[in-house]
Formats: sequence, C-alpha cells, structure tokens
Amino acid sequence: MRMDPANPVPPVVHHRVGMDQVPPHVPKELIRSAMIAYGSEFLAAPHDYMAGLHETMPPLWYDVGAMGNAWQAIKHEDALHVLRHAELFNNEDATPFPRDPDDYFYFIPIEIDPPDHRKYRNIVDPVLSPKAVLELEGRIRQLANELIDGFIAKGECEFAEDFGRPLPVYVFLELMGLPLDMCPTFVSWAIELLHSNDRAIMGESLRKISEYLKVAIADKQAHPDDKVISRIVHAAPNGEPLSEKEIFGFAVFLFIAGLDTVFATLNNIWLYLAENPDKRQELIDDPENITAQTEELLRVFSVTFSGRTVSQDTELRGVQLKKGDKITCILPACNFDPEAFPNPREVNFHRPRKTILAFTVGVHSCMGAHLARLEVKIALQEWLKRIPEFRVKPGTKIEYRPGGVVGPEQVPLEWDPATTA
Amino acid sequence: MPSVTFVEFSGAKHVVDVPVAENVMRGALYNDIPGIVGECGGGLACATCHCYVDEAWTDRVGPPSSPEERDMLESAAAEVKPTSRLSCQIEMSGGLEGLIVHLPEKQYD
Repeated sequence: MRMDPANPVPPVVHHRVGMDQVPPHVPKELIRSAMIAYGSEFLAAPHDYMAGLHETMPPLWYDVGAMGNAWQAIKHEDALHVLRHAELFNNEDATPFPRDPDDYFYFIPIEIDPPDHRKYRNIVDPVLSPKAVLELEGRIRQLANELIDGFIAKGECEFAEDFGRPLPVYVFLELMGLPLDMCPTFVSWAIELLHSNDRAIMGESLRKISEYLKVAIADKQAHPDDKVISRIVHAAPNGEPLSEKEIFGFAVFLFIAGLDTVFATLNNIWLYLAENPDKRQELIDDPENITAQTEELLRVFSVTFSGRTVSQDTELRGVQLKKGDKITCILPACNFDPEAFPNPREVNFHRPRKTILAFTVGVHSCMGAHLARLEVKIALQEWLKRIPEFRVKPGTKIEYRPGGVVGPEQVPLEWDPATTA
Repeated sequence: MPSVTFVEFSGAKHVVDVPVAENVMRGALYNDIPGIVGECGGGLACATCHCYVDEAWTDRVGPPSSPEERDMLESAAAEVKPTSRLSCQIEMSGGLEGLIVHLPEKQYD
C-alpha cells in the first residue's frame, strides 16, 4: 500500500524473533547468530569482527537473535543491489525510534520510498551539496579550533566528549538555524535518545526534542531565514506547502541522523590515529591527498547499517527471500569485502576511487554525506596541525556500547604540550 | 536560464532549464528526468549520473575534469564511451545553452 506522508499511520510490522520464528523458506544451513552490534565478540573490536565476517560467515545468512531475525548481507555487490532497488526492498519500519501511535509521524525522508521521496530531497539537497557545504568550511574550522583551544594546553582530553560530540552538534545547529547555546541540551537529548537503550528514556527524549522543535518550527514560520528548518517550513513542492506532520518528521529526522554518526566516526578515526603514528604521519606528510585519505578512513570506519523490508518475493545470491522478510546490509562489513577492496583491512590512502558504503547507496543515500566528509576532513586538518602527536592514555580500556551506531564510548587522549602548535 | 536537452535511452527527449553554476545532474533531479539517479549527490562517490555528451558538444564540455571522475566512471553500469561524463561534474554556463546529453541504458545493475 502506498503511504501518504501527510497522513502518517504506523506500519503493520511482522517482527520475527528467535529460532521458533524462522520461516520455512529459510535453508537450515544459512541460519546463524552473529550477534551484530551487541554480542561480546562484536563489542570487543567491532570493525575487526565485521571484517572477519567474510571468513567466518556465508556471504548471505539468516540471522536469528534477540534483536529480531533478518537476512544479513555483507557482500559489496549485494548491498548495492538491495539498496538500489527500492521497489524490492522498502524502507517502511526503517527506524527503531518509539513514537506515539495516536500522534504518529514518519521520519522524512528515510521512511518514504519513491516516488514521494524525491520531493523531500529536493528541498534539502541543495544546501547539502558538495559546493553548498563549502560555505560552512570557515565556520567549521573556527569551531574546531575553539574546541582545541579549550584543552590543548592541558596535554589531554577525552576526545569523544571534548571534540567528537560538540563539533557535529555545533555544525548541525548552525546549519539548521538553531541557537548555538542549545549545544549542551542537544547533546544530552542525543545521548538519551541514541545511547540509553531504554525505550522509556528514548521516548521521553523524543518528547523533549519534539516539544523544542515544534516551537522552533513556529518561530521559523514567523521569521524565515535561509537555514534548513526554515527551508523545510516554507517549502512548497509543486506549489503545495508541506503539512505540519511532514515538516515535523523532516526536522526531527535530521536531528537523529546528523549528530551521532559523525560523532562515532570521529571517535573511531581518532582512536585509530592515536594507535597508528605511521598513518598519522602519512596524513601530515601528504596534505594534498586529504580527499582520498578521508574517503579511505570512512571506508574502514563506517558506523552504521541499512535495514530494509522485502516488498515482493525475490532472489539474492541464489537464495529465496520472501515478502515481509527483513534484511540488513552490514555496511562496515561490505566495505571490507575483499572482492571490492583487495587487502581490505589495510588502510591505503592510494586506492582507486570506488563507491564505499559509509553513507549507503540508492535513493536513501545519506543526504549529509558531503557535510560529514567535510567535517571529518577539517577535523583531521585542524587537529593534526595543532596536535600532531598524541596517544591513548595508558591504562585505558576502550569500550563499545551496543547499538546501531558503532564507535568507542570514550577516547581519552594525551600528548606533550611542547609538541603542539 | 540555459536549457539542457536530456535524451533518454528510449529516445524520449526532455528540455529543461538549468541555472548557471548548477550542475547537469541536479538539473535532471529537479525536473524528475528518468534515467539519472545521482545517488551520492554530486560527490564523486558513485557513477549513477552517467551521461553521454552529444558529439556536437564534446569540445565545449570537455573530458572528465578529474582523476576521481575517471575512476568513478569505471564503475558505471552501462558502456563507457569517449563521450561519457558524470553529469554532476558538468557545471552549467551561458556557453552551454542548448546542451544535449544522452542517457545510458542503466545507471546500475
């Protein structure tokens, strides 16, 4: 059934959980339980674990577990197929966040499939194009440096809290046209919503975010500007303004999408660079190659997954998938597919350019990808200029929290202030 | 505003206006032209806005503008020809008024 974005209704979803809910069309030999995103082996070293799936698992398997049963795709080629065929693999039920069924809304545009999807993307894509995000470059550099100023002389910081978290939040507020002094509040909401793993806390956080955004939307209705929320509020695709539900679902989705992913990516990369001085040096010695360097770091440190629901019976890799089945593309694993990226675990800043799955692909390809790339690139440039030598604080145990965005919880770093600039 | 003609693989033609300094891929997306996907949004991270520049325009449009564009074109799903470009890398200018681009059979498998 085609959904009506202006009149959202909760989808009827059939969740299967556990061994006794494996449908009969699933071949027994393809059933596994990899405990992606929450098992202890995964959490010990997530990216290593996901790279290793190419050796330990079939290329496509049916995963049975406490979080729900779903096909798992780890081949680059298969992910491209699944994600590029929205007519076979749809996005209903694509986001796990709890909503009030009596006041339901869709997360826009992620939960909207073609043909309605493009009209939303056309509103925001122009401000997030490679060229448009460059307008934020100076501001992002300034924010990065202000954050570094706050701790550089101390010779230490907790990277996640002092840099990885606030940088994307500031950029987000700036882009949306929201006041920067909301940063601490937004950070606490983001943590509750995305990291509490408690549906009551998530629901409460979403309620606070909703309340705030409703006021912000009303304010933009009265006082238009050229920032994202205002553009959404005043958009009129084909002459028709968006409904209240659409405006809200769009604004709240950007909040969810824009904060945690860059945070986790930065944390992963800084942990890696702290432990790999030779790679750090390569970045410093070859500043001209920053675009390829950023892309390669995004390849090996992708942080998220793309889940879809099968819309009609189909076949993938010779395996029968049936309507209603769930399928997850383990994007970080797809980026370690040796057939797509030879010697996949090696960080090689001179690989030929090729589609990576950090930002997924297909119509739901990440609309913030260019902004994310720019943030990572600027963070690398500004940080390495000022703190070229740094390491993880001795005695630190790096821990990963379960969840759909993969990165270390804390990255305590230290350096000799004499080596800084 | 300069106009661009998109010729679908089927032969169907669409003439649309694309603002100066905007790229040809976006011109297609804004006007719902079938046959161009542009999934990465113009970041040289996919090859789903592949087009063939009409022979009459190749001199003015020029070859791929960067090694990255050349790399990405290699993963295009349809045949890559000497006139192949990623349309996100063709920026509109007054000199391109009337540009004609042909769309490939497919943008991915």
